[in-house]
Amino acid sequence: MIWREKRTLLLILALLLLGNVVFFLTYRVQYQSRLDEMSERLAEAKGQLDKTKRARAEAERSLQGYRKVERDVQLVYDETWSTQPKRLTALIAEVKRLAVASNAVPKTLSFGRQEAEDKSNTRRSKSVGAREMTIGFSVTATYEQVRRMINLLELSNQFVIIDQIALAQGEGNLLTLNLRIKTLFRDETVAAPGGGNRL
Amino acid sequence: MKPIHLNLAARPYRDYRPVYAVVVLLSLLTAFLMLNNIETYYRYVHETKSTRAEIARVEEQTRLEKQKHESARGRLQGLDLARLDDQTRFINAKLAERAFSWSRLLDELESILADDVRLISITPGFDEESRTVHLALHFQAKSADGMITTINHMNLDPQFSDVFPTSETQDDTGTYTFILSALYQPQTGQSGAQQTAGVTR
Repeated sequence: MIWREKRTLLLILALLLLGNVVFFLTYRVQYQSRLDEMSERLAEAKGQLDKTKRARAEAERSLQGYRKVERDVQLVYDETWSTQPKRLTALIAEVKRLAVASNAVPKTLSFGRQEAEDKSNTRRSKSVGAREMTIGFSVTATYEQVRRMINLLELSNQFVIIDQIALAQGEGNLLTLNLRIKTLFRDETVAAPGGGNRL
Repeated sequence: MKPIHLNLAARPYRDYRPVYAVVVLLSLLTAFLMLNNIETYYRYVHETKSTRAEIARVEEQTRLEKQKHESARGRLQGLDLARLDDQTRFINAKLAERAFSWSRLLDELESILADDVRLISITPGFDEESRTVHLALHFQAKSADGMITTINHMNLDPQFSDVFPTSETQDDTGTYTFILSALYQPQTGQSGAQQTAGVTR
């Protein structure tokens, strides 16, 4: 009888309790799984970020590597080889100076030039944006003078390559030296080194 | 005489204490659960909010990294790498020729040539891959054994290999002229000429 009289209050309290119990059981249980799911998403996103960072770093390393190669190529073409108008007379003067220094002055110098080509590892030669110049001369000198001239050419600041050496017996202890040297100039008519692409 | 019991109550007497006890108990339990649920809800909202924000931040960072990666790849694809490779190979070959020491080669040949053999000409060919130099050597000798002696001496020198004769001719004066081909691999660290820095591919 007394329970029936207070049933409204009891029902309200029971409903409130039931609601809280249901919320507790469902939300509290779901809570951890939802947090776990969120943590998994975060870990996945971080993994993806690391992967992307590595790929980006790798691509940038490659780019920097090529940039360095291009700078080196540019330096050789622009500074070491330079262009014919800038370096030709200095080269000839240097060869004459070295001949005088080794006491083996040639009476005749012959000059030739051609487009430099990369013939390695390919079926056909390819233009590499440089021109090759040769200087040939014949001189009569002792073996010591010949060695001195060769040594001076090797130590020259000019980019000089000794291409061929031929010796012939002369009078007494004299030799006739036929020497062909070559150098390279950047070809001004061809696109800039490094493929013409600025990185 | 029977005593008179007066009942002046408006309603019959009821003992509500059990009901009140249950009400108090239920109220306390409900209040406890409610507080707990509110705290749980608040914590969930707060924690997931910070995690969601972090996920968004990481995803944004990933997007930026992808953009940078694509940009770097695009710049790489825009390069004429084949041409750059050709030029690098060509430069390295020429630098190797420049660094080649004729003085050291002549020293080496002086040490192996017999007294009656004379060097007439040398033509080198450079192989960048194997870092060896192909030599075409033209000699003159006064005796018939000149070529054999020279080949034997070159075979004993570790810097020469694959020594092979191309031709031998005796002229009217009795002088022998012969041509040898050989591979020459200079010993490292003894450069006689100025070394020029190479381009690394």
